[in-house]
Amino acid sequence: MNRPLGRAKGPGPTPHSFLFVSPDLEKNLKVGEFITYEAEIDGEPQTILARISERRPVRLYPDPFSSDPAIDPNRVAAIVGYSGKTSELFEITAEVIGCYDEKLRAFINPRVPPRVGTPIALAGNEYLSRVLSRVKAGEVGSATVGWLLSRPRLQVPIAIDVNALVSTHMAIIASTGAGKSYTAGVLIEEMLKANNRAAILVIDPHGEYETLAEIANSNALSGDGYRPGARVHAPGGIKIRVGTLEQGDLRYLLPNVSDRMSYVLGRAYREAENISKKRCSDPNRWTLRELEDAIDRQGENEEDTFDRGSANALLWRLRATIHTGADEIFDDQQQTPLSELFQPGRVTVMRLDQVDERQQQVIVAALLRRVFYARMDNKNEQVAPGSDNYLPYPVFILIEEAHNFAPANADIVTTNILKKVLAEGRKFGVGVGLISQRPGKLDPDVLSQCNTQFLLRIVNPVDQARVRESVESVGRDLLDELPALTKGQAIISGAAVNTPVLCQIRERYVRHGGESQSAVDEWRSYSGEAQTRRRERDTATPRQPSSRRSSLFKED
Amino acid sequence: MSKTREVILGKIVKSNSHTDYVCQVYSLNEFEPAPRPENYALGTFVKIELTDGTSPAYLVGLIYDTVLLNPEFGRLGPRLSSESELTTFSPDYLNERAVLLGITAIGRVKANGEAVLGVPRLAARSDALVREMTREEIVHFHTGSGQLDLSYLPILVRIDNPLAYHLARIVLLRLMDLLPAYRAELDVLEDDLGWQTQIGPLGGLQ
Repeated sequence: MNRPLGRAKGPGPTPHSFLFVSPDLEKNLKVGEFITYEAEIDGEPQTILARISERRPVRLYPDPFSSDPAIDPNRVAAIVGYSGKTSELFEITAEVIGCYDEKLRAFINPRVPPRVGTPIALAGNEYLSRVLSRVKAGEVGSATVGWLLSRPRLQVPIAIDVNALVSTHMAIIASTGAGKSYTAGVLIEEMLKANNRAAILVIDPHGEYETLAEIANSNALSGDGYRPGARVHAPGGIKIRVGTLEQGDLRYLLPNVSDRMSYVLGRAYREAENISKKRCSDPNRWTLRELEDAIDRQGENEEDTFDRGSANALLWRLRATIHTGADEIFDDQQQTPLSELFQPGRVTVMRLDQVDERQQQVIVAALLRRVFYARMDNKNEQVAPGSDNYLPYPVFILIEEAHNFAPANADIVTTNILKKVLAEGRKFGVGVGLISQRPGKLDPDVLSQCNTQFLLRIVNPVDQARVRESVESVGRDLLDELPALTKGQAIISGAAVNTPVLCQIRERYVRHGGESQSAVDEWRSYSGEAQTRRRERDTATPRQPSSRRSSLFKED
Repeated sequence: MSKTREVILGKIVKSNSHTDYVCQVYSLNEFEPAPRPENYALGTFVKIELTDGTSPAYLVGLIYDTVLLNPEFGRLGPRLSSESELTTFSPDYLNERAVLLGITAIGRVKANGEAVLGVPRLAARSDALVREMTREEIVHFHTGSGQLDLSYLPILVRIDNPLAYHLARIVLLRLMDLLPAYRAELDVLEDDLGWQTQIGPLGGLQ
């Protein structure tokens, strides 16, 4: 145990908290910091870990002592006869975390509060490195994403449990510019290290993750014959077969579909499925042409003239919205095999920039559905190697701008499948990571299903409130820190760590692609001398052609 | 630690309560050698004999107040004799001037030498002799049980006197000098009293 910094005063405001008093001369006892004390459990002395949740001054100089900034209030105090060292004294509230069980690699009850007068010490770096997570930095299944914020750089590495992260899902929540895509990049790097070799797909609506392609060349992640892979697919690089779209997907995708059009679509959809089933024994292989023909045939119903109008309107919408072909995401025949999207030791980035938001949602819904049911079938050994849906290992899908795929107060095409994956994905090895800058706009059920949270700076009160109601594992004291966190500082909580921690996220090995653009730099660059010359040259009026040359092309 | 000499200060002339005594300091003419002001300074540990000198048991007290009696105060008319002549012609008049000490009893030492801190069960007699305690006696009184005992301190700070906290600080500073082994513990108490006496009244948070 380290040198005592304070002594227990008595019970705290909650059953699991206690108060202690300290002059905190070395300024170590910050909110979120870990402390330890010794207590006897079953006759054995044990070290109990606790976390500081509040500090309140119980001794302060009168305000007028500090009225002249040029004069140290200690000098004023000395003049009136007080020369003690403890001009500041704090009553500190700490939440008992518990006693660490080396076998279970977790904190166990009973949470024994300290007796009055028990020495309270700062938790040692080595002890914290051992107990904050089930896994140790560098070992199989660990992702060392940074270090404990309250300790010097790298002194207490924060290693999170990748298995827990993947099986029980995770969320990265932060305001714009707080470092959420940077944190996601660090996490991806760690998951791709030789000790994890994860199979990751990133849904990237803004094209921020392009630089992950450099992972393949990073020596920091390679070793012992292992080298991680990375593939970045532009829109159209990953194919989704139109036959895998559900009727609901189509209805969602097509703009302003009336009830009648929806009815016509339903009948046409079933007909297309039957045609597909007759052709290749699979109802999900219909082509766009077959669906169009089926819609067209619905319009030939002589008994109801309205069907013709609805069918035409539907066809017009379908042709305007869904395109198939070499450069398109949707295809009649092809779909990217799942084993190509997911490979252990490889990250695949699916760029969806330049894709309409509704299409993005349908694409993600179709993909999630396909992965989920494929993993279910693989688990039941119903998929043969070589099949498009052969996926014999767990996968992790990271979804940027998650509030677009599971918005609050609205059921969109992705909401249900996302909820299904979050609820049941654990059984089949489908892990989901959600990234959002607007948790207030994210479905609270979806957020609460993500059992590991990375919370970076959040300033918006609505977003803070959503985090408070959805993230149970973090105490109010830590959540109060959210608006004060600086770039790259995160609260990590939930299943992947033994107790919530304030973490400084480490530097990325590969370049970060999501930095904010410097508008000033670009303006200056544009108006620079060289640029100006180049622009003048590019926009110069062509010289008048000579009369001789002109005459060669003169029409006679 | 060099052995210190015992000084007789005066006698008990009155009590205001079971623990609050008034001692009249012996003047130059009453006792030889007469006590000097530093012998009966504020915060001095004194012992008050419990019997007429037949038993070594005594009360332990602390000087918490000093009052000067001067019947001449307020008489502004002319005098027929100078002060030097008064010594010869009217020594009884000079005896009416006195130094009175307020003493609070904080414990006792039994005949067998056992120190009992806190409100003493026994009271002192009138005319009981009051002596300044030696360094050795002070140390014994506070550490006779094997460890530092200051259990009279709460009583001390509650005596009805505006100087009570200052008195306690003086005691602690004295003991820090006499008992260096307990300096850290005494420092904690002294620091707290220092804050309460020096910073608290000026508006410091406490």
